[in-house]
Amino acid sequence: MSERHFTTRRGFVAALGFGAVSLYGAWAAYGAAPLPFGGHKEAATPEPDAHGGHSGHGTAEAPPEAGGHGAHGGSAGMAPEEFRFEHDYFVERYAQPDGSVNPHGSEDTHSHAAGGHDHSHEPGGRPVDVYLMAQKFAYSPDVLRLKVGQAYRFRMMADDITHGASIQLGSASRIIRLRPNTVTEQTITFTKPGEYLVYCTVYCGQAHDAMQGRIVVG
Amino acid sequence: MDTISTNVTPVGAPSRLTARVTALPTPDKALLKLLFGAALLALVLGLAGGFVTALARARALSLFPDDAYRILTLHGVSVFFYWLYLIQAALLLVLAAAENGRGLALRPLAWLGAALMLAGFGFSEWVSTTGTPLLYDGSPELAADDPRSVGFFALGYLLLSGGLVASAASGIATVLQPRLRGEADAFTSIGFALFAWAGFLVVSAIAATNAFLPGVLWALGAGPFPADHGTEWHILFHNLHYLPLMATVLVWYVLTEHLTGVTSIHGARMSKIVFAAYLVFVPPTSLYHMFLEPNLSEGVRVVGSLLSLFVSVPTLAAFAIIVSSLEASARARGATGLFGWMRGLPWDNPAMANMGWAVVNMMVGITFAFVLIQEKLAPMLSDTFFVPGYFHFFAVGVLTQTFLAALMVILPALGGGTLWRPTVLRRMPVLVTVGLLVFGAAGIAAGFMGVPRRVFDVSYGGMAPAAWPVLMALVGVGATVFAVAISVTVYGVVRSLLSRCAPVAVEAPVVDWRAGARGVGAAPAWTGPASVAALVAAMYVFTIVAFQLIQSLPIIAIGGGHGH
Repeated sequence: MSERHFTTRRGFVAALGFGAVSLYGAWAAYGAAPLPFGGHKEAATPEPDAHGGHSGHGTAEAPPEAGGHGAHGGSAGMAPEEFRFEHDYFVERYAQPDGSVNPHGSEDTHSHAAGGHDHSHEPGGRPVDVYLMAQKFAYSPDVLRLKVGQAYRFRMMADDITHGASIQLGSASRIIRLRPNTVTEQTITFTKPGEYLVYCTVYCGQAHDAMQGRIVVG
Repeated sequence: MDTISTNVTPVGAPSRLTARVTALPTPDKALLKLLFGAALLALVLGLAGGFVTALARARALSLFPDDAYRILTLHGVSVFFYWLYLIQAALLLVLAAAENGRGLALRPLAWLGAALMLAGFGFSEWVSTTGTPLLYDGSPELAADDPRSVGFFALGYLLLSGGLVASAASGIATVLQPRLRGEADAFTSIGFALFAWAGFLVVSAIAATNAFLPGVLWALGAGPFPADHGTEWHILFHNLHYLPLMATVLVWYVLTEHLTGVTSIHGARMSKIVFAAYLVFVPPTSLYHMFLEPNLSEGVRVVGSLLSLFVSVPTLAAFAIIVSSLEASARARGATGLFGWMRGLPWDNPAMANMGWAVVNMMVGITFAFVLIQEKLAPMLSDTFFVPGYFHFFAVGVLTQTFLAALMVILPALGGGTLWRPTVLRRMPVLVTVGLLVFGAAGIAAGFMGVPRRVFDVSYGGMAPAAWPVLMALVGVGATVFAVAISVTVYGVVRSLLSRCAPVAVEAPVVDWRAGARGVGAAPAWTGPASVAALVAAMYVFTIVAFQLIQSLPIIAIGGGHGH
């Protein structure tokens, strides 16, 4: 029997089955690989100080530690009842005449720190709390007015069934899935002014297509 | 010009597979025809539902929201559950019976399985078209005020699960019988694969029972509201995706031998290891479906991300075995040129054309599957049209075309008829692939842009990007092309099922590459490695594109539900 070429040997053929595992290299190059190599997100993400800045484009991911709020897990340890209370307070306190909600709405006339958070626009300033409730078939508040470059701690929850609260950002979107009675927390900084569509990406019933809101960043 | 010394199988000479199928006992043939017919009906219903859904999304049709979501439910239920499970049960039984050589063991159990699955089919289709739209995952939270819909919907899947267990038990008994009779002392690679596949079907049925029994109990007032349905669904959902892929690979093995006479040059043991690898690699890799869950722990996230890289190992290994075996056999018969050996394959046979294009679709599908499973990209792509954009390459391009290829070989042997117009059927896979490329390119682009997957009107009152409706229109165009091509193929297969004509042997050519003049494997076989290299390169390109895109967004987001 003639000797087999290495491309027809079992070991080589079996190794081909693992070909896709080599994608780990691309993941590592973007700091997105799990352990042990290249799994440190810092390699491809801005320093925490950049979050409040206006550096333009940053990565959509940053180390959770940088936010200082133990980001992973989504649930911020806030009970649904507490969330509802804070949400109602937030909407009532910052409601604008046009129906939108602006957490900086009273800054022009008052100097205050809502909910214990500093609303300063300084880089590195503490995030401003924002509450967003999803329910059939709307968001509350449905229009948010925010500032460019300011970090916001979005606390979000679905009130009835699973929803999405995804933000359309032009060339792509940031998809967020909200489970009922689970408070999801993300610290978000918009780096460009604009009017961003918020829409539901999880089918939630008859008027799912119409479930939308807006974030106006100025 | 590359040359290859090809023996064409003598006209009228049946292969081992078709000879054994033809010789099956009449009751087995009747059962198999029933199952194949039901599977094809499910495919037709699912195809129709998907076509209407695509047209509605393209705004070529206007539907009331509830009707639109009922049709989407019908599409998913028919294709993902009944087409794919009924055809798997039917193929398992027919291949097991052919492997056995004497027909099905535990035949009454196989009939019971068919009855249960058909009852489930009826329930599911009825409630999908008349009840509260639950989509194919039947989430109870969508109908908390309508326990009737939840209960009947879940009952349909439970009946299907019961039927799968009964069918799998018959299949297992059938492949074991030769050993119990002392006629064989070891499994063939196909026999082993059938055994593993049947076991996996039972696991899948258990997962379905776990997910849907609570819904039935709640509807009956005998249990609490199934609040954990989402988690249970994820477990089933992963099985639902990968089990048909294992079946596909097995069918490729069978069809390769039927069409060319070639079996693995790497030995039965290696094939058995690869089939067993599905059981090892598939269940643990399911975690990546949960990257968007807000309460997923960091540990699970890291492990899930790492394991997801291994999800394609068995499929790519099986692909490499088949391709290297074919290429080595062709070169042993004198084939030359890097890819020239492929010209010797019996492309005029529609089954070969279906299988060949299924491989192409698999490569495209795997490329984008690996973009989606990246944990850091999930917040950009999950729940968007990227998902249907890529998985139709699998569901239609790979699974459906492969199973239809199997039917083109099996049904004429089963019914004693002839394959309907092979010259027409062999052209359809190209058309299917063209349609899928249009559908997939537009759908994946739409997904990158954030178009949600389960929305019919994507305009959002003018707030959505102007490109969204245009991309959905292109999705409709692509869907139309592949729906027409698949419909022609299904029509041909149904005609073959119903055909009473005497077989016309010249219509479906095969070749015989079993023995070459040169030593098999002595010449290099680069097609497999080149294909995997191209696949990896494509994965790199699209993964990098996705990372660049997500990094360019005007937002900095930290943690939380990870939003991914």
